Amino acid sequence: MDATDVQVSLLDADGNLLAHPIYKVDLDDDALRRLYEQLVVVRRIDIEATNLQRQGQLGIWAPCLGQEAAQIGSATALRPDDFIFPSYRELGVAWVRGVDPVDIMRLYRGQALSGWDMREHSFACYSIPIGTQPLHAVGWAIGAKWEGCDQIAATYFGDGATSEGDVSEALNFAAVQAAPVVFFCQNNQWAISVPISRQVAAPIWRRGAGFGMPGVQVDGNDILAVYAVMRDAVTRARDGGGPTLIEAVTYRLGAHTTSDDPTRYRTAEEMAAWQGPKDPITRYRTFLERAGLWSQGFADEVGATADRIAARVRESIENLPQPPLTDLMANVYADPPQTLVRQFERLAAFEAQFESEHG
Amino acid sequence: MAAVTMAKALNTALLDALEGDDKVVVLGEDVGRLGGVFRVTDGLQARFGEQRVVDTPLAESAIIGVSVGLAVRGWRPVPEMQFDGFSYPAFDQITSHLAKYRNRSAGTVPMPVVVRIPYGGGIGAVEHHSESPEAYYAHTAGLKVVSPSNPADAYSLLREAIESEDPVIFLEPKRRYWVKQDVELPVRTAPIGKAEVVRPGADLTVVAYGPMVKVALDAAEAARQEGMGDLEVIDLRSLVPLDVDTLVDSATRTGHMVVVHEAAQFCGFGAEVAARVTEEAFLSLEAPVLRCTGLDIPYPPARLEEAHLPGVDRLLDTVRRSLDY
Amino acid sequence: MERVFNLPDLGEGLTEGEVLRWLVAEGDEVALNQPLVEVETAKAAVEVPSPVAGTVVRLHAGEGQAVDVGAPLATFETAVPAGSALAPTQADSTPAAEATDGPGPHGTLVGPGPRSEGRRRRLAVASSQSGNGAAQAAEPVERPVERPRATPPVRKYARDHGVDLQLLTGTGKDGRITRSDVEAALADAEPVRVSAPAARAAGERAERRIPVRGIRKAIAAQMVASVAEIPHVTEFLTVDATALLALKDRLRALPEAAEVRVTPLAVMARALAVAARLHPLLNASWHEDAAGAEIVTRDWVHLGVATDTEHGLVVPVVRDADQLGILDLAREIGRLTGLARSRKASPADLTGSTITITNVGGFGVETGTPIINRPECAIVATGLIAQRPWVVDGELTVRSLMTLSVSFDHRIVDGAEAARFLTRLRDLLEDPALMGAF
Repeated sequence: MDATDVQVSLLDADGNLLAHPIYKVDLDDDALRRLYEQLVVVRRIDIEATNLQRQGQLGIWAPCLGQEAAQIGSATALRPDDFIFPSYRELGVAWVRGVDPVDIMRLYRGQALSGWDMREHSFACYSIPIGTQPLHAVGWAIGAKWEGCDQIAATYFGDGATSEGDVSEALNFAAVQAAPVVFFCQNNQWAISVPISRQVAAPIWRRGAGFGMPGVQVDGNDILAVYAVMRDAVTRARDGGGPTLIEAVTYRLGAHTTSDDPTRYRTAEEMAAWQGPKDPITRYRTFLERAGLWSQGFADEVGATADRIAARVRESIENLPQPPLTDLMANVYADPPQTLVRQFERLAAFEAQFESEHG
Repeated sequence: MAAVTMAKALNTALLDALEGDDKVVVLGEDVGRLGGVFRVTDGLQARFGEQRVVDTPLAESAIIGVSVGLAVRGWRPVPEMQFDGFSYPAFDQITSHLAKYRNRSAGTVPMPVVVRIPYGGGIGAVEHHSESPEAYYAHTAGLKVVSPSNPADAYSLLREAIESEDPVIFLEPKRRYWVKQDVELPVRTAPIGKAEVVRPGADLTVVAYGPMVKVALDAAEAARQEGMGDLEVIDLRSLVPLDVDTLVDSATRTGHMVVVHEAAQFCGFGAEVAARVTEEAFLSLEAPVLRCTGLDIPYPPARLEEAHLPGVDRLLDTVRRSLDY
Repeated sequence: MERVFNLPDLGEGLTEGEVLRWLVAEGDEVALNQPLVEVETAKAAVEVPSPVAGTVVRLHAGEGQAVDVGAPLATFETAVPAGSALAPTQADSTPAAEATDGPGPHGTLVGPGPRSEGRRRRLAVASSQSGNGAAQAAEPVERPVERPRATPPVRKYARDHGVDLQLLTGTGKDGRITRSDVEAALADAEPVRVSAPAARAAGERAERRIPVRGIRKAIAAQMVASVAEIPHVTEFLTVDATALLALKDRLRALPEAAEVRVTPLAVMARALAVAARLHPLLNASWHEDAAGAEIVTRDWVHLGVATDTEHGLVVPVVRDADQLGILDLAREIGRLTGLARSRKASPADLTGSTITITNVGGFGVETGTPIINRPECAIVATGLIAQRPWVVDGELTVRSLMTLSVSFDHRIVDGAEAARFLTRLRDLLEDPALMGAF
């Protein structure tokens, strides 16, 4: 399959699903409706998380507001046993994988360094050092290939990450080894305050060809286009065709994190251009209406589900216990050095003097 | 019993490890077809194939990052950094991920990875080929740091490191690659975490590891001949875990201790030994724990490296300072 | 129930925020997450959503007012029962709710920022449980200006045996206290005494062996060294002590002498100091090394006063004895011998003498041939003052007599000079007014 010069879009401005020579949507009506529910729920949780931070329940939160379609659409195209290596904003991907959002928030509340069992959901822990996780995906994928297994790896990273050396190393290594991995770049236009125009001098998707793999740019706010393009890349990898680089063009409607103030570097007009009819959820609703899959009852049901989930998340977060002191040391080594063991014993004895703040 | 070089012992250890566990894989620059720039991986690709012994692109960060991903999958990678000075591009992957993955994942995803790094000077090389970066790695919680001084330990420690569930930075003293020892392989010597008293003595303890163990033994012999004193020499063998008990026992007996390493003195590993032994054996010490080390400078050009590296003379000078205190 | 909502750290390491605009009023019903207030943080307004559904009971700050992070922002009345997730204690246990003090925002992008600098000290509930030596009331101990110097093993040895290093004089390098010094102190606790064995069967006789350690050992070494190196000669002179005793009595009666014990020794010390200044070679030292020998004379007289203590012979030093009057000498001698006897003399008190006096008369003997306090030149022994027959103007009479002897280093002075010194001393003692001339 060749790289095209045109950004792939399947939903037009009126919500019609267009035909495309390469990228197909093979989802039934239930699946299509489920996508909508996931979009609404993820956004609702994301907003709740921001509120929780503002209320002092989370130390910080990195919102995925505006990127729901890119995340949910792509995650849907993967098999549950395909391994995902995310960055730190992939609430939508985590939701599709069945990771409890409370477990994601435990990280942002300072409860744990990672809140969920990676193996249970085939969803790796968040990677805070920018652009370091694509290499892990490449390693995992190569391992799968050596085992003759048809599982693939997918890795998520942003536009800013593509400037890091590790991402280039990952693309190169994957291409040389024909690793079964999909590189999914969410170009949300901003790396904190640095706009894409200052981040790269050439379109990100074009790097694919430079490294020796197909590269494709997709309308990241068109959930069906994202799904279709991802599915194509996933199939290629699974069939032994090697890696693909996908650039999903979207927009970070929220701040970089809750500590960031975007009003200092971008305008309300710019944001407005990506909202309203351009908002990914609005666009998809328009499609559903057009396709006759929409009803008020359906919308109410989805809304109620979202509220219920958000309330549960809120209650769980507010009730999380203080982590025990043993978390400091328990998992640093499989076989810890005596120096650490003794050090911790001394700490435990010291802490025992005081009224316990810890579990 | 045959005379085996350290390089050969390491080669045999890798061979036996690859043989014994299908999940062990060797990767690095020039490790496959060439057999490694020091021939430590010689013949392995021919025997085990390109998938078990991988010639990677020239990308240190990738070598380690890919190893992390392989480990998540359940493999046991043994990546090589071609030279000490070239391990730095991988520093982020080593310290941010290799060292932390197990802890971050609450123990569910271990990193049974061994990063082999030829290190140290004394080989007349150009810049960046004679570094001693052990302090950076020893200071990184989650890593183990091991350095053999002889072929038998090289074999045993490498086998054990590969079998370990913890990530190990395996530092091979490149100036000792060609030193021979009569040893029957396979062999298991003392475990990781155990220091060895390789020469018992009564008057002063010299603590060394890797390339400096030989210097310490030579110095001890010279001290005996010159009547300077009866030196005890300890080969640490692993820096993390550190065998504090053996060090304290020795310091208690001799009352004098000198640590020797090639790396710079300032914030070097010797500082950790000195602080720890002083804390735990204070009342037995007749003199402060002294350090005989490389200078606090970037590694010098080859023609000056002898002045920079601790040799027998400088070590004995430090020994004398301790005994005369 | 009531729920107080404290201003959280809004993610920039805030220490306080300014209320820009309330979006609700007291008494209003609010929904969960309903926008509550706009707070100014680092020049941007942040909208804070309500953490509960309920009624606004109280707004704790007016618009334009600053609120500390962790301080109450608003109080709500909620319908939620006590003990639920929304009970008041929850918000306070989050990191963001910790009160901070200090200057403005730090602007971090990755977390709530640094916590309060003055983190509260926790109070130990269990008393002295840990082995870390936590909070033990230290008894005030008088410490000297300079700590005794000893290597760690010596310290441990001393501590294990209950020896206070402050009280010891070090004989090691740089005045360091050595293990032998500590052993000496221990030996002194058991002085070398040969006492009658307690229970012994009649007729049983035995030989006993006393190990030589500590101060006995030190004295022995010094004596041997002195005799081995210095060619000793002793000269004797008998002196009429009548004037000396009269002077002593007159001085004792002085009001200035009320708290001083004026002894004949004090008078003799004065005379000796004057004589030593007048005969500097007797106040000198022989110094010899590979380069050759020198005789070292000084302009000062530091008088060593041999003192018998229960631990053995100690020689404290009266510095600049030639500058002191008899009363001051008496004072100093009293002070120093007191220190020596109580083992409280410092190293400075016990070193530096240029000539020594030993009052063997105090033991009840006439005279002696004292061993020189190396590396001095001379040591003067003063004997018992007793009534003896004497010839005055050809007639036999009874006088208080005392015998002086001086042992001297025959390398430095010959007999003649030593004799001149000794006769001078006699002159000064028999006619004490002469002391005023020098």
